[in-house]
Amino acid sequence: MRSIRNGAVLAVAAATALTLAACGSSSSGGAGSGSASNSGASAVTLTWWNNATADPLKGVWASVAGSYHTAHPKVAFQIDPIQNEQFTTKIPLALQSGSPPDIYQQWGGGQEATQVKSGKVMNITKLVAPWIGQLGSAAEGWQVNGQQYGIPYDLHMVGFWYRKDLFSKAGIASPPATMTELNADVTKLKAAHIVPIAVGSKDRWPDAFWWEYFALRDCSSTVLKASMKAINLSNPCFLKAGEDLQAFMKTKPFQPGFLGTASQQGAGSSAGMVANGKAAMELQGDWDPGVMSALSTDKSLNSKLGWFPFPAVTGGAGAPTTLLGGGDGFSCTTGATAACADFLKYIDSAPVQKKLVGANVGLPANPAAASALTDPTLRQILAYSHASPYIQNYFDIAFPTNVGQAVDNAVADFFAGQGTPQTIITTVNQAASTS
Amino acid sequence: MARGISTAAAADTSAAAAATPLAQPARPARLRKRLELTLLLGPALILFVGFVLAPIGIAVYYSLYNWSGFGPLTEFTGAHNYSLALSDPVFRSAIEHNGIIAVLSVAIQLPISIGLALLLNRQMRGRSLLRLVVFAPYVLSEATTAVIWLLMLQPGGFVDKALTAIGLGHLVHLWLADLSIVLYTLFVVLTWKYIGFGIILLLAGLQGIPAELREAAAIDGASSWQTTRRIVLPLLAPTIRIWIFLTIIGSLQLFDIVWIMTGGGPANASVTMATYLINRGFQSYEFGYASAIAVILFIICFLFSLLYQRFALRRDTRGALTRAVG
Amino acid sequence: MSAVAAARPAAVPPAPEAPARRFSLLKPLTWLVVVLVVAITVIPMIFVIEGGFRSTAQINASPVGLPHPWVWSNYTSVLFSSAFWRFLFNSAFIAVVATAGAVGFGSMAAFALSRIEFRGREAIYTFFTIGLLFPIGVASLPLYLLLQRIHMLDNLFGVAIPEAAFSLSITIVILRPFMRAIPAEIEDAAVVDGATRLKFFARILLPLSRPALVTVAILAFVFSWNNYLLAYIVFTSPSHFTLPLGVATFQTQYSQDTARIFAFTALSMVPALGFFVLAERRIVAGLSGSLKG
Repeated sequence: MRSIRNGAVLAVAAATALTLAACGSSSSGGAGSGSASNSGASAVTLTWWNNATADPLKGVWASVAGSYHTAHPKVAFQIDPIQNEQFTTKIPLALQSGSPPDIYQQWGGGQEATQVKSGKVMNITKLVAPWIGQLGSAAEGWQVNGQQYGIPYDLHMVGFWYRKDLFSKAGIASPPATMTELNADVTKLKAAHIVPIAVGSKDRWPDAFWWEYFALRDCSSTVLKASMKAINLSNPCFLKAGEDLQAFMKTKPFQPGFLGTASQQGAGSSAGMVANGKAAMELQGDWDPGVMSALSTDKSLNSKLGWFPFPAVTGGAGAPTTLLGGGDGFSCTTGATAACADFLKYIDSAPVQKKLVGANVGLPANPAAASALTDPTLRQILAYSHASPYIQNYFDIAFPTNVGQAVDNAVADFFAGQGTPQTIITTVNQAASTS
Repeated sequence: MARGISTAAAADTSAAAAATPLAQPARPARLRKRLELTLLLGPALILFVGFVLAPIGIAVYYSLYNWSGFGPLTEFTGAHNYSLALSDPVFRSAIEHNGIIAVLSVAIQLPISIGLALLLNRQMRGRSLLRLVVFAPYVLSEATTAVIWLLMLQPGGFVDKALTAIGLGHLVHLWLADLSIVLYTLFVVLTWKYIGFGIILLLAGLQGIPAELREAAAIDGASSWQTTRRIVLPLLAPTIRIWIFLTIIGSLQLFDIVWIMTGGGPANASVTMATYLINRGFQSYEFGYASAIAVILFIICFLFSLLYQRFALRRDTRGALTRAVG
Repeated sequence: MSAVAAARPAAVPPAPEAPARRFSLLKPLTWLVVVLVVAITVIPMIFVIEGGFRSTAQINASPVGLPHPWVWSNYTSVLFSSAFWRFLFNSAFIAVVATAGAVGFGSMAAFALSRIEFRGREAIYTFFTIGLLFPIGVASLPLYLLLQRIHMLDNLFGVAIPEAAFSLSITIVILRPFMRAIPAEIEDAAVVDGATRLKFFARILLPLSRPALVTVAILAFVFSWNNYLLAYIVFTSPSHFTLPLGVATFQTQYSQDTARIFAFTALSMVPALGFFVLAERRIVAGLSGSLKG
């Protein structure tokens, strides 16, 4: 008798807990936080998750939200800046929940495709159709199966950032155009006791840039596009990419202890090294000068920095002017109102794009704002991107997330001396088979 | 103690009878007891089942699926995630790393803790202050500890400069970048943080050993080393066993410091079971697989705990149970 | 426990160690070890504190060195930032709630599990000890979904309550033997005086258990105060961040401003250390009581 009663205590407790856990399953997919019906007639507050945790971009977004609110008094914003790295954790959690943010940072590609599976990302194809053509082919990066699920607000290209002063010190007259020249430059820099290339291997994705660029040089754009679509790296050009990378790494071009170096944090990071003149080059996106300026007290740093594209590789099937790049953008979630898509249009409008350019976000998504670019190096990069026949999205964004992470991990392991060029391919293909 | 409890039970019924002079059925007393039990145990049970056990159950459920964390669970794979995990070389090395940390903790931290506890148990000036100092790292958060040591272990940073300054420059290594030593670097950081806890625990145990015992031994002509070895250490054994238990469980669950300092890298040289599951779950969006790892981690801890309780702690609990207090 | 120890009444306070002069030969060695231990323990903390008095440029130029000149702005900017105090308040609020929950409900459960005879008691106790084996981080995704369903996300209670739940295990494990050790005669006397079990619990047992209660309170408080992963998952808006979350986030957000990170980290050590100073004696006393039991 007693045991049954005590069992009843347990059962009640367990039942309560299970009920608490199970209840609310009917309340999924409710309206976005604070937003009213889609009539647009009542006031709406859009929650906005972006990665601008610091100025100047933080201030720019605040003023953009403010001007939009002035023009559309019924739409207010609640901006929650989130650290870049934390987005990978926060987004799946938010999209699982019943109240994800209305607008959130979106890098497009296969990562976006993975998120779309949640059913919570808004299909804005019809809403943006009138104006999306302005952005040109860049908008494709934010499509999933031909449908628009997000828009870019800036674009980035990856290339070499180098110290002109250190190059002249080592007796290098001009940036290298081929791998042979790059190898020669590495030798010259070492002879001048300068670390040739800094890499932030701790973060893994800077390593991936290297392998991906070799893939871009060794594989034709046809093969690249097909492989991205099939999520398969079986083409032998990818193996050649790994072998070329291996040969390059044998020349020991990187800083000592590169495995533990972060890419952007602190003066000891790879960006910090170049910023403080401790290394001569870094393969990074166009955000790098912005990062560097905060890591050094050198006021004339910008004048010492130059840019050159990834060199041509002998015997490579890829066009030597192919670029690796990506961009930042935003997506709306299904609970948000149409005001969200309208706000995205505002962000891609020329005036706002010019403001963003002024805040050094990178290259504008809207070509109409190109004239606002004052920095000569950025203009150089923009011109180069227009001349490039094909821009490949970073693999860890182009692929579904688990495959993308497999690429980063496999290449990082390779940098640490684990595995062969074939291992990279096998690992990625294996991850693809489960996605 | 059995005596104590049955006395209480007897007192219970007799008190019930004494308090109400009318002829009472025993039911109100039992009913009240059940109500009391519900009131006393209920909140804790609800909280515990709801927030600790239910997540375990849900994790087991997720582990049976291939799930990216987005959308509904559709791909049932049964035990596939488990067989994948057990043959995963990274997961295996994670288990190995946890094991190494556990063994090193017991082998190195325990003697140091005991020695320092014995030292700090002596009457000396500033003893309270010393205990404060020694325990301070334990009180700091893992995040703070990780940030502090990250800054200190930079190449050319504080640790390197200090070693060079005292002439040990040849010992300078790439503390967090060298695949072969990163795990041991982390172990040093862990020791710095947690040794204070061990010392305080052992000090508490030492204080339970009456001084009369040592004095008696000294009068009998025992040296201080003999006293320590023959009397203090055996009496300290229960505390030591508890310390070992907590330390090994802590080693198996190691996460915060490793995550912030190395993320399990470079190239998985410092990966632990917990960092691996967070990595596969929240970074690669493979929540089914990550949940399987979580369940395996739980099972390992559970098995260890069962075995340890059965064999190592049984003596202590039996003593505590049968000993009538007073 | 040996028979000798069992013969001792539990109430006798242990005498301090015999005078030091008996071990005078070891004294210099003792002091050397003490100095070494203190140095190793304290230097990293001092490093961070004095780093906050330098500027980032100084630190980049020479990672090790004394402030030259002394820079106050890092500390003042952190101290005057509302963010720091908000983090502090959030941490404190959550820790108090979590501790109250863990100790309150835990002591009630420990009482039932230690002094009331009922079937299934050992099973329920083992049930609770399972909680020791499940690190809170591992439960993160299911916990997140649960919290979201009961609308406790981005809410201080959404962190405080799970923390209380996870502290229940250690609380009960420490309190149960302690409560068991309280002599049956005291309970008998209370019953004879007409007290119900609950009154006995509240009026007599709890006050008697104070050392152990303080111990579990401190453990629950420290566990909550230092928790990182749960807060990281539950909180989105920075206004809810706790201090460890703030430290880690600060480090990535202001990663370029190394000096400010030093200052922030140093200041975040202060509450924890201050709390410990106040609680130190109680921890030792409390632990020794429960270990004896």
